[in-house]
Order: sequence, then C-alpha cells, then structure tokens
Amino acid sequence: MTDKSNKKLHGVYAEFDAVDPLLAACRRVRDAGYVKTDAFTPFPVHGIDKALGIKPTALPWIALACGLTGTAIGVFMQVFMNTFDYPYIISGKPFFSMPAFIPVSFELTILLASFGAFFGMLALNGLPKFSNPIFTDPGFDRATDDKFFLFIDSADPRFNHKGVARLLTDAGGANLVDVYEDDTSTQSPKWLWIVLGSVIFLSMIPLLLVARMRVTNSSSPRFHVFFDMDFSPAKGAQMTTSLFADGRSMRPDVPGTVAVGQFDRELDFYSGIDMDELARRDSGRAERLVRAMLYPDDPQDATADAEAAAEQPADAVPATDQPAAEAEPAEAATAPPAAESPATELNPAVVEPAPSPTGAAVTSEDTTPWLRKNPLELSVEVVERGRTQFDIYCATCHGNDGRGNGLVNRRAQRILATAWVQPSSLHQDTLYQDVYPDGKLFSTISNGIRKMSGYGSQIKASDRWAIVAYVRAMQASQNADVDDLPVDKRDELKKLKAEVEAKLAAAAEAEQKKAAEAELKRAEAAKQKPADAAAKAIP
Amino acid sequence: MSLAIPQGLDNTVERPGERAPLVLGETTTYHSVTEMVSQIAERPPSRAWVIGFLISATLASWFGICIAYLIYTGVGVWGNMNPVFWGWPIVNFVFWVGIGHAGTLISAVLYLFRQDWRTSINRAAEAMTIFAVVCAGTFPGIHVGRAWLAFWLAPYPSLNLWMWPQFRSPLLWDVFAVSTYGTVSLLFWYMGMIPDLATFRDRSTNKWRRMAYGILSLGWSGSSRHWMRYEKAYALLAALAAPLVLSVHTIVSFDFAVSQVPGWHTTIFPPYFVAGAIFSGFAMVLTLMVPARHIYSLEKLITVRHLENMCKIILATGTIVGLAYGTEFFIAWYGQVGEEKFAFVNRAFGPYWWAYWTMVTCNVISPQLFWFKANRTTPWRIVVISIFVNIGMWFERFVIVVTSLSRDYLPSAWGYFGPTWVDWSMLVGSFGLFFTLFLLFCRFMPLINMAEVKSTLAGQLHHHHGNH
Repeated sequence: MTDKSNKKLHGVYAEFDAVDPLLAACRRVRDAGYVKTDAFTPFPVHGIDKALGIKPTALPWIALACGLTGTAIGVFMQVFMNTFDYPYIISGKPFFSMPAFIPVSFELTILLASFGAFFGMLALNGLPKFSNPIFTDPGFDRATDDKFFLFIDSADPRFNHKGVARLLTDAGGANLVDVYEDDTSTQSPKWLWIVLGSVIFLSMIPLLLVARMRVTNSSSPRFHVFFDMDFSPAKGAQMTTSLFADGRSMRPDVPGTVAVGQFDRELDFYSGIDMDELARRDSGRAERLVRAMLYPDDPQDATADAEAAAEQPADAVPATDQPAAEAEPAEAATAPPAAESPATELNPAVVEPAPSPTGAAVTSEDTTPWLRKNPLELSVEVVERGRTQFDIYCATCHGNDGRGNGLVNRRAQRILATAWVQPSSLHQDTLYQDVYPDGKLFSTISNGIRKMSGYGSQIKASDRWAIVAYVRAMQASQNADVDDLPVDKRDELKKLKAEVEAKLAAAAEAEQKKAAEAELKRAEAAKQKPADAAAKAIP
Repeated sequence: MSLAIPQGLDNTVERPGERAPLVLGETTTYHSVTEMVSQIAERPPSRAWVIGFLISATLASWFGICIAYLIYTGVGVWGNMNPVFWGWPIVNFVFWVGIGHAGTLISAVLYLFRQDWRTSINRAAEAMTIFAVVCAGTFPGIHVGRAWLAFWLAPYPSLNLWMWPQFRSPLLWDVFAVSTYGTVSLLFWYMGMIPDLATFRDRSTNKWRRMAYGILSLGWSGSSRHWMRYEKAYALLAALAAPLVLSVHTIVSFDFAVSQVPGWHTTIFPPYFVAGAIFSGFAMVLTLMVPARHIYSLEKLITVRHLENMCKIILATGTIVGLAYGTEFFIAWYGQVGEEKFAFVNRAFGPYWWAYWTMVTCNVISPQLFWFKANRTTPWRIVVISIFVNIGMWFERFVIVVTSLSRDYLPSAWGYFGPTWVDWSMLVGSFGLFFTLFLLFCRFMPLINMAEVKSTLAGQLHHHHGNH
C-alpha cells in the first residue's frame, strides 16, 4: 500500500448510502456502456440485476439435474439391491414393489437437488475465496453493514481511470477508492506445509497399523472394543448360577420325560435284561429298574434300590464282606473300602449278585434273565466299531488284548499304587458267554463294577453292544483252533503267526534290555494280535 | 441519516390499506440492525447466559455419560420391555423430530408464501431445527442396541453382512428421511448465515475472530452477482425443503401406520403427525425466542406481531390436532373393528388414562387460550402456554407409542411400561444438549438474519419514501 504506482489497478468503487441512489448509479453506469461492473450490498437489492445487466443464472438447471440423478440413484439402488441382488421375502410383497421404493427415492432427490443448489451456488460464485483485493480498504467492511458500493473493473474495455471517477462522482458516489491487485506472494507459508504434512503422516500411522493387523496373524487374542456376541454369558458345564435354588447352571432332565432318541429301542436294549421275563419273575424289581432308568436323579429310587440291595446283598456291598467273591485274587487283596464301591445302587448289574464260583461266600444264584444274545446284527463293521470304542474307552485299563494290563495298570504297578485293583482279564472262564451272558457284560460296561465306573453316560448303547461283540470276538480268538478257520485261510494264518511271533520275539528281546522283568513277561504273553484273529473269527 | 420509521412498538393493530411494519423503532437503520444483532456475539456473555450454559452443559454431559453407560451395559438399562420394545427412546425421537419441523416451516414454507414476518425469527428457528434433529437422531442411533454397528443401516457393500438393507421397511425410509432432513436443514441454515457471518467478520477487531468468521463466511463479499445466485439457491432450497419437511414426519408416522398394531394402523397418521410437529415446533420456537428476545433486547426486531402470528399458527395447528384426536375416536367407532375400538377406549380409560388426559388438556385445551388477544400478545403467557403445548406433545408421542404397544394383541403378552432413571436422565439430558447447542449458537452466531431484516427494512423505507 506504500507505493501504489507499482501495483496493477484492479478497479474503482464508490460508496452509496441507500438503495435508490445505488440503483440510479447502476443504470447510469450500465447506460454508459460498462459491462465489467458489480455492486456490493449488505442485502440483496431487488432490481439491481436489471440495473447492472446481470444475466440470469443456470443454477435451477444444475439443481434439476442433481435432483434427477438422486431419483435415478434411489430407484436403481433399491431395485438392484432388493429385487435382484438380495431379494427378501417380506410379508408377501413383490420383490419389485415400487410404492415402497418411493420414499427413499424422494429423499435422495431432495438431498441431491439441495446439494446441487448449495454447492452449485458456491461454485458459480467462485466461493470460497478467501483473498479478494476489494477487501483491502477497511472502508469496504461496511459493505456487509449499511453501505452500498458500485465497482467498475479495470478490465472493462471502456475503462479509463479519470472517466470512471467522474462518472461515479456524478452518479452520486462518495469516497472513491482505487483497488489494486493483490501482489503478495501466492505461495503458502512453509510452516503450513510442514504442519499439514506431519498431521497427515501421523494420522496415517494408526491406519497403517490397522491395515497391517488385518492382513497378519497374531497369537494373542483379538482386541475387543465392544464385546459384540463373542463372549456369551451362557454358563458352561460345572459352573454355578444364582438363578436356580440348587445353584446348578446345567439343568437335569425333567423327571419322567424322554429325550428324542433316548429310548428308541425296547428297554432290553438299554438294560441288557429281558424285561418281560424279569417282570414275570420279580415284578417289583422290574418296576424299580424301569423307574431308575426314567428317573435317574429321583432320590426315592435310591431308597428303593437300597432295598433291592438288601434283598440281594452280594454285589451291592461288594468287597468288604466277601473279599474273595470275585474271580481275581489281586482284587481281593487290594479290596476297596465299601465307601469307594460304585455305590450305584440304581444300577442293575451291580445290584445283581455276581456269580463267584471260586468264592466261598456265594449267597445266592444269579436269577436275572440277562439277554443271552447280542441284540445287534453282528457284522465285521459292528466288531470294528466295537474295537474302536474298546480301544478308546476300555484298553487303557484292560489293555488292547483284554488281558487287564493296560497303560493305567502298568503305571499303577510301577508306582505301587496301594488302592489299585487290577482290571480283570477278559480271557477267563468266568467271563465267557456261557456263564457271563452278553446282557450282563453290557450291563457291566454300562454301570461299572467294583472300581470300574459305568460308561453308560459316555458310550452310546449301540456302541456298548458293539464292544460286547468285540470282547466276545477277542475271547474267541484266544481259544480258537486253526481248524476253526476256513481251509483256504489256514496256511495264511500259520504264516502270519510265524511272522508275528518273530516280530514279537524281536521286540520283546529289545524291550528286555531296558524294561522291568514283570512287564516284559506280560509283553511276551501278548504274542498275537487278537484283533486280526477276531475279525476272522466272525463267520 | 434520517431513515426513521414513524411507528410505535405495538404493530399488532391492523390498519386497513397499510402494511403493519415488521421492524420497529424511530431510529432503526441498517446499521442499528447490525449493531443490535452483532453485539450479542461481541459483548462478553451475560450472567444469565453463563448460568444457563453451565446448567445445560451439565445436563448434556450427563446425557453423554448415560449414553456411555447404556452402550457399555446394554439397552436393559432402559425401561423397555416386552411388549413395549420402543419405549421412551422412540417417544423422545418422535418428539424431537417434530420440534424441528417448525424451523423448516418458517424458513421454507413461509418464505415461499412471501410471509416477510419470518425474517426476524427464521434463523433461530432453523438453528432450533438442527439442534432438535441432533437430539432426535441420537435416540434411534442408541436404540438399535449395538450402537457401534448403526452404520449397518447404510446401503454399503458390506463384507460382514453380505446383504443389503430392507428397503420396504418404513424404519429404513426413516433413516433416509431424517438424515436428509438433517443435512438439508444444515445446508439451509448455514447458507442463510453466510452473509451475516461476513458481517461478523468485517466487524471483528480480533485477528483470530476475523480468521474464524472469515473461514466460515467463505469470502462472501456482497457482490450483486453472488446475491442473485444466492437468492436463487435460497429459493430452490426453500422449494425443496417444503415438501421435505412434510415428507419427514409423514415417514416418521409410517413407522407406526404401516404396522399392524391397533391404534397405529391408521391412515390419518401422516397429516396428523405433520400438524402435531408444526404445533410443537412453534411452541418450542416461542419458548426459546420470548426469553431470548427479552434478554438480548430484540423487541424491535422480534416484535409482538411476530409472537402473535406464531400464536395464531399454534392455535390453528392445535385445533387440527384436537380434530385428529376426535377423528381417531370416530373412525374407531365407525370402523367397527373390535381391536381398534378397544385400543382407543383403552387409551382414554385404560392404565395410561393419566397420560391421555394430560395430552388432551395440554394440546387441545391450552392452545384455545390463544383465541384471546391478551394471551397472544403477553409474552409470559405465551411462554407458559407454549410450555404446556410442549409437555402435551411429548405426552402425545408417549400415548401413541406406549399405550398401543402395552396392549397389543394377546392379553397374555400385555405389560405395563415404566421408565427407569436412565430414561429420565436421557429425556432431561437431551434437553440439556439442545439448550447447550442453542446457547452456543446465540453466543457465537448471528441470532437474527440481518441481511433479510435489512431487506425488509429497505422495503419499508422504500414504501414510506414513496419514490418507487
């Protein structure tokens, strides 16, 4: 501002006090042939566009175009989304339901037309424009207060400084001001770029971290801002709750109800007992047994079965008063105290007196009508299934060969566990089918015996019967003669036997060097793989 | 300058053949209008403003704390229950959306009808619209339960959902209607303020203030070309906002009317809701403007005639609302649908009878007091009646939402809704948010549209000097 002569003249404006003198001046300037003129007023002055010769604006067309775009977007978006790409069935309405698409299309029409009007206005006006040479003189601040200014641009072809000044003065304008182009540097200050650059850089860091996390794996659990549904408040097994009086979060079955698939075969299948026959012989016991199966948690049954146990006490109170009752002397030696007995008085196998031919204290005969025959239709598949289940559940104690020397037993022997009762070998006369019927074996698997707990809750009934079949096959394999096989298989077996024996001998020799003698002997005894023979034993 | 207007302060008297002046005062000039409005933002805040701001900001903070508590804990902290799943959040939503409508009506519809008296009140009414929409939008946003997933309402190609929104649901129309309404109202309000923000900029003596208002006013210079496009844009926005404002509460009413619930499933809802919205909105404008006019000494700009006109609109819309209540009952009887009859009898005489009769007293009876000119022109009476109308309109939404849902289909599923302390806090807190925003607006933004008032004043001067 110190040396105006060096600056380029932008234009000249004059000040007016009221609308009417301004309009008169505008007309005069227009009539004088000036086209690059403008008036600056604190409010829109009506008639000034005509007085200055301002052409109408195209803004309505812009708004219309934007509005129609909004309509098209609304209609096509909804039709695409709800009719073609993801059709929902809602109250039987057609997928293409135009009436329902009207509201959103209407709103989008309004929204985009409004954007068109507002941003179109700004764009046509060249706003925002923060630097304007006309703002240089402080007197111009009153253009937004109470003064009116008429401006003639120096770019006007008729512009002549003296002539313009005279014209404006004659038209009633006061306080004429020359406006000079702003020649200050258009370069933004360096610090602004540094600040902006740093802000952008710093704001990218979290985004980059997020982007990296999205494409990499992590062993630490996911970070939850909100828990969504990842953490269920549902109770797990063995958890307590305050919702129920008994504090148990897992609810027992409703007494007297039968779950789907729970009893879809006759009861014999689940008890191992010919129930009709039992009812004929001892209806009271049959009734208690059925009740115990249907109401497993009913305490009344406990008393009922305590009664039953009293009737036939042999197995209900197993070890203490008849230590030699069971087949195996090892068991008798380390007889568990009564309190540790399976105590499942509800359990039909246990309430039955076990046949104890060697024991002196046999008090009664086994009168239970056990199923003598496996109710499953036997096949290689069934026996294979039985083998799988046996290897999972039984072999850890009874051993893969069923001789009662599984891993758990070996471990128990090694640490000299005092309370350990050696598992029965399945290869003994007392457990063969003629004296220990299939139904009884099934019941023992289901309900346990002595130290062995029942597996009824873990193994499906059909699988328990499959295990019974496998045990029978295993037993048969240990007493089979070569003649039991078909003629064409006999040589094969002999060859196989030699091979297996050689292998076992080698293995045993190797083991002998490092393992304890007792274990070694038992390992030698297990010369044959029972399963191979077992599979063949099935006709 | 001797551009004075020879008029007293009472401009409510109709003189045949003469237009009542809208700007009063012997010495009112363009500059005095600028002074009157600008000094509000330029002087240090008054004690009343500070106290009011502290109270409302505290309530607004409490609102925020309650929202955080709700999001952290879950929507069970509300009284919402089976079968009243909507409860107070939706009552508050409809209430606040309705409040907003008066602002747009004043700025758009009255503009289109060339009702010049709107110029003194339109800015504050538009601001009220924005703040009411802010309050309104909060409630459905947190009512969705998992508020951080509210963006699922938007039709974007989601990699989580692999699906699109359901566009045949009024609830989704509502999302579009309310967000469009909020956006367009904001544009309209902001665009209206640009010239006045430029006035603030040019009056600033402080560099930072000048910069802030300079950025907000986008370099507005008052050029006639700019004014011409600006006015065109303003008229376009008004023409767009007028059907928009009618559509918004219509669509809000569809949330109810398109459902099957007895008491909701009625075709009268759209016009009835729009009338109620305008009714409540004008009451809120008066509740805000009468004290503001007094505190900031704006009696010459917001004249008694302005207040009286708004009272007349309240009287008209209040009567429409009363008629709608009557029509609902008539149709319920005339339609001979048992459930419908039960729903309306239950409203008036069921467990929520107290809410219904509060609504009728406040909405039907209290506006009738505006038949008397003394009530229309005495500011304190206007405020009292307006507050009653606001209470009544809140209860109207309560009656519609809660009584219908609590007695829906099977009597075995009926229930009685009761609010919790969180419900109460959020209602009061939303008022805190609303007043906080409004007080900030009064403090920092041009409360009255100076450019338009000057334009009106120019018309008056023009007329008086007679040199047309």
